[in-house]
Amino acid sequence: MGKPSLLPLLDERLPLTEEKVAEAARLAGVPLAQAWGVVRYYPRYRGLPQGRLLVDDPVARARGFAGLRAKADGTYPPLGLEALAPSYLRFTPKGRFVEWEGRLVPFAEFRLPFALGHGERLLPPEPVESLAQYRSLGGLKALEALQKGHLTPEALFQAVEEAGLLGRGGAAFPTHLKLRAVARGEPPRYLVVNADESEPGNFKDRFLLEHHPFLVLEGALLAAWAIGAERAYLYVREEFEAAIRGLEKAIGELEEAGLAPVPLEVFRSGGLYICGEETALLESMEGRRAEPRLKPPFPVERGLWGRPTLVQNVETLANLPLILREGPAAWRAREPKLFSLSGDVERPGLYELPLGTPLGEALRRAGGEPGELKAVLLGGAAGVFTRDWALPLRYREKLPLGAGALVAFGEGVDLWEVLLGLAHFFQEESCGKCFPCPLGTAVQVEMVKRRERNPSLVADLVATMKGSLCGLGQSAFWAYQSLLEVEGAA
Amino acid sequence: MRLRVNGKEVEARPGALLLEVAEVPTLCHHPHTETRGLCRLCLVEADGRLVPACATEAREGMEVRTETEGLRTLRKTLLEWLALTTDLAQAPDLLALMERYGAEPERWGEVPRRRGREVLKDNPFYLRDYAKCVNCRRCVDACGDGIMGVYALTLEGRGLLAHPTTPLDRPLPETPCVFCGNCVQVCPTGALRPLSLEVG
Repeated sequence: MGKPSLLPLLDERLPLTEEKVAEAARLAGVPLAQAWGVVRYYPRYRGLPQGRLLVDDPVARARGFAGLRAKADGTYPPLGLEALAPSYLRFTPKGRFVEWEGRLVPFAEFRLPFALGHGERLLPPEPVESLAQYRSLGGLKALEALQKGHLTPEALFQAVEEAGLLGRGGAAFPTHLKLRAVARGEPPRYLVVNADESEPGNFKDRFLLEHHPFLVLEGALLAAWAIGAERAYLYVREEFEAAIRGLEKAIGELEEAGLAPVPLEVFRSGGLYICGEETALLESMEGRRAEPRLKPPFPVERGLWGRPTLVQNVETLANLPLILREGPAAWRAREPKLFSLSGDVERPGLYELPLGTPLGEALRRAGGEPGELKAVLLGGAAGVFTRDWALPLRYREKLPLGAGALVAFGEGVDLWEVLLGLAHFFQEESCGKCFPCPLGTAVQVEMVKRRERNPSLVADLVATMKGSLCGLGQSAFWAYQSLLEVEGAA
Repeated sequence: MRLRVNGKEVEARPGALLLEVAEVPTLCHHPHTETRGLCRLCLVEADGRLVPACATEAREGMEVRTETEGLRTLRKTLLEWLALTTDLAQAPDLLALMERYGAEPERWGEVPRRRGREVLKDNPFYLRDYAKCVNCRRCVDACGDGIMGVYALTLEGRGLLAHPTTPLDRPLPETPCVFCGNCVQVCPTGALRPLSLEVG
């Protein structure tokens, strides 16, 4: 086990004073300089905005942003509310609330409406509130199998390999390779579930955590047990307070039933987009500024506290019980993927579709008509605008799928306004560690503001940002570049 | 161990960094601090991938290219952005690099800058002029893990607004600072300057 982590120590002491920061530093065993760098990095220690806040997501940008913004005191980064957009929040000394159907709902009670989910295998047919209910829906079989000694780690690795499961967080790395690499490492080893969903347009992990916590936890426990993890952490976006409450309750039930072979713990995220980058995530868990590490070494070799660590997305892990239940071949024959659909479609929501579904068909499932759309933002802020309705939605295609966000924009939408929102987002979320990203994201905002179309200038922005240290800077120009391509083809 | 740099075969000792066998510009790298891989000026193409020469070990048979069109564009652009945002008047090495790569900062138009920051004079030994700071972190590292282990410097903020500061933003005499001068020695842009050199 590592030292006590600085972030929870600071959280316990909010609102912070200089004395409390010094005390947290002492208890964490870190220099005051490190603690101060942390306090001056994360929004909740610097001080959150107050008042009525417009959620500044791509959908809000498409719906007359200036008018929406005029009715708020400030803005807040995307929060997985795209299917309900435009959304307003209320931050007061009493707490944080979502404005919903004329009421103020505390974050701890607000969950995405269950009716937004459309699926069969990854999404529950009814909200799963208890272990008994999860069992009645066919769950727990894999956990019980391993308890009875009917499952071995190698059998799990083999099944995942045969299924060909690729990471659902966006990088699409083969899951079995990571599982095996960590299992080979020297103990202690760790599992960290990356539940810091912050990519604009995506709300699949949020929905899974809020409505299907046992599925996620069964998958996490399977992986943690198979790699021989000493402990499994769920690194959850700190704003998802209702999900955190539900997870903690579900963990309690699993442990009470003796079904948790590895200790599970929730870790509240740092509250920034960059915290979803796996090495920045680990930095924040270790009590530092969430700044990406140089790779190699990769987390499978040197992760949390320098130990072999499996960092895996929520949806990826949720697939493990499914693969074991259905068998790898059957699972693979109709590989389920969650798509977050929002914007100008009749029924925005979360759709479970077979990987490979053409973009146009996915849109129609949600009541969208490709012929009436100007473009779709595929993937999120780190995504691309496209009008390629025949594009099969799968990995390693000509366009990146990301985590599966599809934001549809009707003919009347000014895509440059949407792009400006994305550009602001990247500028705000750049950590500032390497040089190309903080400089380039700031330059990009100015270029988008003046609707710069000079190809050589854009090409130089692209060539330079490609040299950024992590995926944030390396993808921050994708949407800009793709909008010019969509415009050029029109 | 043998590898190829720009088509020419070179010898390298096992464990050597690419920086030792390839001539590339550097900014954040310093032999006495742990800072590396931040400024990206030393990026090279190794077997087709962009990697920082200061943080990448040479491997047998590696194909390294240091001056592709993409890399020249990257260096030129980065230098332009630095010049637009930051006061490089006391960074002669960077000004020379701008010359070498044909930098034309004005082509980018209006860009937010860090130039407006006020000079901090809170001790008799050196000043902190963060309008000239490129945030390479050499000073923070020299004060902390890299050389001194004193931890009188840390970082404030994120993105382009990030820059060094002291714990609790206190004046230096109220921090663990022992005025050893290491941070001043490693600063590449004159953001930290000994007061003995200031005229008037």
